[in-house]
Amino acid sequence: MGTIKRRTFIKRAALAAGSVIAAPYILPSGRLFATTNAPMADHVVFVLFAGGVRQQESVLQRYLADSQEIPIEGNILYNMLNGAAPELKIAYGTTLPGGQEGGQPISKILSSSIQQQGTLFPEVHYTRGGTGHYGGLSAGVSGHYGLTQGLRQRPLHPTIFEYARRFGGYKATDIWFVGNGISGSIPLLNYSAHPDYGSKYGANFIAPGITFGAEEYIKGFKIYHPDDELDPIHKMQAFLNQSFLLQSGALPNLGNTEAEREAIKDFIRKTFDKLEKQQVSFPPVTDNGDNVSIGFATEVMKYFKPKITVVNLSAVDVCHGNFTSYLKALHRADHGVGHLWNVIQNQIPEMSGKTAMIVMPEHGRNLDHNPITDENDWFSYDHSDLNSRRMFSQMIGPGIPAGLVIGSESNPIGDATDIVPTIADILGFKDDVLNTGLLDPLAMSLFDRI
Amino acid sequence: MKFGFIIALLITLSLACKDKEYIYGVNDVTILPNNAEKDKLKTNEQYLNIVYANMYQKALGPDKLVDLSNVINSLGDKQVAYEIIIAKMMGDPEIKLPSKKDMDADLGKFITETYNRFYVRQPTQAEKTFFVNFLKAHPNLTPEHIYFAFATSSEYYFY
Repeated sequence: MGTIKRRTFIKRAALAAGSVIAAPYILPSGRLFATTNAPMADHVVFVLFAGGVRQQESVLQRYLADSQEIPIEGNILYNMLNGAAPELKIAYGTTLPGGQEGGQPISKILSSSIQQQGTLFPEVHYTRGGTGHYGGLSAGVSGHYGLTQGLRQRPLHPTIFEYARRFGGYKATDIWFVGNGISGSIPLLNYSAHPDYGSKYGANFIAPGITFGAEEYIKGFKIYHPDDELDPIHKMQAFLNQSFLLQSGALPNLGNTEAEREAIKDFIRKTFDKLEKQQVSFPPVTDNGDNVSIGFATEVMKYFKPKITVVNLSAVDVCHGNFTSYLKALHRADHGVGHLWNVIQNQIPEMSGKTAMIVMPEHGRNLDHNPITDENDWFSYDHSDLNSRRMFSQMIGPGIPAGLVIGSESNPIGDATDIVPTIADILGFKDDVLNTGLLDPLAMSLFDRI
Repeated sequence: MKFGFIIALLITLSLACKDKEYIYGVNDVTILPNNAEKDKLKTNEQYLNIVYANMYQKALGPDKLVDLSNVINSLGDKQVAYEIIIAKMMGDPEIKLPSKKDMDADLGKFITETYNRFYVRQPTQAEKTFFVNFLKAHPNLTPEHIYFAFATSSEYYFY
């Protein structure tokens, strides 16, 4: 018979009791109760640490040793992982005036790493299909490998956003997908093409680098008085739409209410104001698109306190042609993740202590380099071989064991499709998702792999 | 002989004077509202080109078209994206709007012209009546508000 600590017992008992006494209400799925298992957290942030990350420079901390035949090892992701930074040939940092290019590592944000505070799966497998960015991102948010899916097509299987809104009963502005751009079909990931799900259960999407870069076209847009102007405008719109909707249709609708739409506009207006006053919570070093996205993602969270926020990064994809820039982008992505967790814990009281964060690349990168060299004569790497199927994942937050490492290089544990059931597990609707039969057969909650 | 001639004449006359009988009918026709054929969603670029021409009475340049299209793609809720873009246009002094005075001088004419401008069709009598009554009941509304409602309505997104 196993033993259990008193504190753990009380915590689990409280969670179980909480799940039993939760007030029932009718969900969009038609089910009466909001959860099928006890939720562990109120909010989940999933960082798609994407762009194609080699195990060697990330979780294996080999720096230049396994890529350029230069025997220098070290950890350049020290907000996320335990381990000392490289001591020689520092090229991944910022550049001080008159100093060596990239020679100044960015200061660590978190006093203890996400690995120390959470659980790490250092060897996760990307099992099926080609290791392309869109396929990997789609597998990450849908829990299903899109083997027959086109690159300019919405995911064929429902996304975590749709499961959450259908089974968790969340409103549209509770669910956000923050993209780092609009290329690569990124805007198509906020809902699937599945006939039983789709736009009405979709996430609100924003590519903030584009939205807030368009000052000339939208900054200072007119705000109409809610009673004197907006109300009659909405009444006229309703009249105009009434007969037309019966005949033809409408724009694909995410299910935002009028109030939610006005809230999104208010968020955009206020974020422009913050931008002008330099009050957006950008990471201390924001010299690439990924950390611009991270900064705006924190603003989305401050304003909406979403139940699910997915943030997509991609700058490391520069590795196809410049290994030095890849190292810089990796280091900055780690900086961004540390900043994100720090803001959640210290600047958003409604989410602090109630948020779980998951970090996972969309796929890895090749073992062997391509012929392209950069300014340091370092070789570049693409993503197509078996090494590109190697990746990692980690999670942190309430109920997630601290300092735990599950699996190893010789014992891979975890699949690229695990995040959807894991998020569903954290928020309390895992059984509903599993019962749809729409996940990849290999997909499993990371908690069930511990 | 004479009697036979008369009989023959009568028979000939009776046949010659017989009119054809015409039967008139009406084919079955399905009656649809005059917006029913708009069933194709405009692309972002089509929408932007058309709305810009409607608002500014001139063509949208290619650079602006790309930038504005990117703004729409950067937001998941397209209604929000369109409304923000139109609200920004409404603050631009270069926009061509009828005056409030002209609108109030003949509400029926204003409504007809607005339907023509945005929907490229005549309003039905019911539509015209609704708007005339609505504008009379909301005397503070200006052409800007009516244009905003039309430019962000479902029929305007289709062609």
